[in-house]
Amino acid sequence: MTTNSVAADSLLPGLRAPVNRVSRRAISYWTARAAVSGGSVILAEVLLAAVNGFPAIWRDAIVATAIVMVLHALIMPRWRYRVHRWEVTDQALYTRSGWFSVHWRIAPVSRIQTIDSHRSVGERIFGLANVTATTASAAGPVRIHGLDRAIADRLLDQLAVATGRTPGDAT
Amino acid sequence: MTAREVTGESGETGELAPAEVPAAAVSAGGNGHVPAKEVVGFAGADQVWRRLSRRSMIVRPLTDLVRLLPLLAGLVVLHARTGGGLAWGIAAAVLAVITGLVHWATTRYLVTAERVYLRRGLLNQKTLSVARDRIRTVDVTAHLLHRVLGVCRVSIGTGRNDYRSGESFHLDGVTRSEAESLRRELLSPVRALAAAGHAVGTAPAPGQAAVADAAPAVDAAKAPVRAEIVRWRISWLRFAPLTMTGLVVLGVMFGAVVQVTNATDINLASTGPVQRVVADFAALDVLHRILVGGAVAFGGYVLVAMAGYIAVYWDFRLAERGADTLRVTRGLLSLRATTISRARLRGVEISEPLLLRAARGARCIAITTGLLVGRGAEREGSVLLPPAPRAVAWRVASAVLGLPEHVRTGPLVRHGPAARRRRYVRALALAALVVAAIWIVTWVQDGPGWVRFASLALLPAGALIAADRYRSLGHSLAGGWLVTRTGSFARRRAIISTDAIIGWRIHQTWFQRRQGLITLTATTAAGQQHYSVRDVPAVQGLAIAAEATSDLLVPFLREPPDRG
Repeated sequence: MTTNSVAADSLLPGLRAPVNRVSRRAISYWTARAAVSGGSVILAEVLLAAVNGFPAIWRDAIVATAIVMVLHALIMPRWRYRVHRWEVTDQALYTRSGWFSVHWRIAPVSRIQTIDSHRSVGERIFGLANVTATTASAAGPVRIHGLDRAIADRLLDQLAVATGRTPGDAT
Repeated sequence: MTAREVTGESGETGELAPAEVPAAAVSAGGNGHVPAKEVVGFAGADQVWRRLSRRSMIVRPLTDLVRLLPLLAGLVVLHARTGGGLAWGIAAAVLAVITGLVHWATTRYLVTAERVYLRRGLLNQKTLSVARDRIRTVDVTAHLLHRVLGVCRVSIGTGRNDYRSGESFHLDGVTRSEAESLRRELLSPVRALAAAGHAVGTAPAPGQAAVADAAPAVDAAKAPVRAEIVRWRISWLRFAPLTMTGLVVLGVMFGAVVQVTNATDINLASTGPVQRVVADFAALDVLHRILVGGAVAFGGYVLVAMAGYIAVYWDFRLAERGADTLRVTRGLLSLRATTISRARLRGVEISEPLLLRAARGARCIAITTGLLVGRGAEREGSVLLPPAPRAVAWRVASAVLGLPEHVRTGPLVRHGPAARRRRYVRALALAALVVAAIWIVTWVQDGPGWVRFASLALLPAGALIAADRYRSLGHSLAGGWLVTRTGSFARRRAIISTDAIIGWRIHQTWFQRRQGLITLTATTAAGQQHYSVRDVPAVQGLAIAAEATSDLLVPFLREPPDRG
């Protein structure tokens, strides 16, 4: 194995980081998503405050929420982009995701039962797709978010071929 | 093997999806005039669609009516003046009888050499099928009504976990002897079936004695028919009040009372006896009130808990049936017999809730594919031992898994000072938060000062819990078994086979990263689906994962751990 030549995972030095990053467009997608959810929270607050006649404490609360939401929309997507990585070998699917909390997931290709790709409306606007591989364990789905659409399609094919090679699902 | 999987054909619907039924089978069932009685017990009968027992036509309407009873009672009372209540009651009864008839008339099942089919439904006819080599468990239950009529309900468990309603594989209302022969037939390994030819088909004439006689013929080549592993003792009743089961029973009873009073418009509080008791109670002074109230609550709770324990676990037995199945039977009013295929048993979980632990007791749950834990009735299906002495729990665990001595009694590896610090920080931070909230509330509301000072007791309590949580935390990996233990109020030790691990999740929060800890989770198709080694030092955690499933993790390690 040439594992020693690979750089250590900067987050967990015992592991090496998965090879591939997700699409850069994912940053815009995550920003847009954060903006929409943050915006709806603020809108709800404004409506509630309007009903109560805009007392000062509500105004302060709205300003504070707005600051938090803007920071979240600015910091989270970039941080997330640095963390999200994925890799497929002949033996396993290996991903890293999250931002404040980080998840590594490893699923053996031989145990993968279904593979599907999903595009939400938001993801379609940004030309993205996510790929989910499930195993016999209900706790084991491995999901790769923010993939370029073409890469996602290629990954689906690759995984379908790889899982077809090995029988059984270890239940 | 993969050729038989429906999974391959229809993606996410899994193995229990409606599937192609063999043409021969359909035509055999198509004429629909095959009486169930004749079918059972003939060689080659496993190619004919069978029906539920005729007695299920009675069971179904009665169960439905019993379930509707509070509502019906309410309707009758509500419409008592207009006389419409009776009409409602009759309408409901007629409807229930009709659904019972339709259910019986439309439900058929077929056991072939490879698959089991279940067809049901009048308008939306649905055919479920499951490959016989995917059957993990067969669960036979009989509630009171079933027992009166001599029928039971057979549920077939597969490895599939995301049942949608209407897709679970059960036969409600087969005769006892039929259930018994089904159970044996479905769980005998497919390869043995092929060798034995029609041996299975020639099994039983109705009646328990015949079944017992026929059993050795089927399991002939294997181990003795029954070796009892453990049997319930009346002295275990002392553990009954020490688990949450009693509280659950109380909750259910309370819910039933509320439902009935709501539906029938009877105000319990205004009835004579209740008012007299309340009046007597109010006449006492404060000290007596506390004493009497406490004694009544405590006594009532203990009684209810014991009654619940007896109802569920009466005559509990765990026995080996042949070399490769385990059989659990129990129950006072509702009988339940669960059969677990040993080849599917991936481990056991020994749980010791705080009080039970204090009394040196423990429970034992099977970690197996096909029986989920933590999901109401399904959880009950996987019980290997009700609350009982700890030594018995250990004996059961080693007997069912064949555990080596050192896995059973060997010490667990501790997770070190960082994990201990994390336990304390989390417990104390939570306690401090609650204390702060109490102080703010009492200050704003001008509440009594002693509440504030009493709340400070939460801090040492938090520290005690943290200490206990750290004491419980541990893991070990030896002889192909991963053992992990966590928790304080509900301490659980999970012992799972490393062969059952089909993936890893590593989780690290920002705080854990600063302390060099990770939470390592093994995913599996059995039991809770995931078992975690919590807050383990990163290096140690990766070493466990690498050792347990070497080919899986090692390619992603920076340095193979066994080097140097």
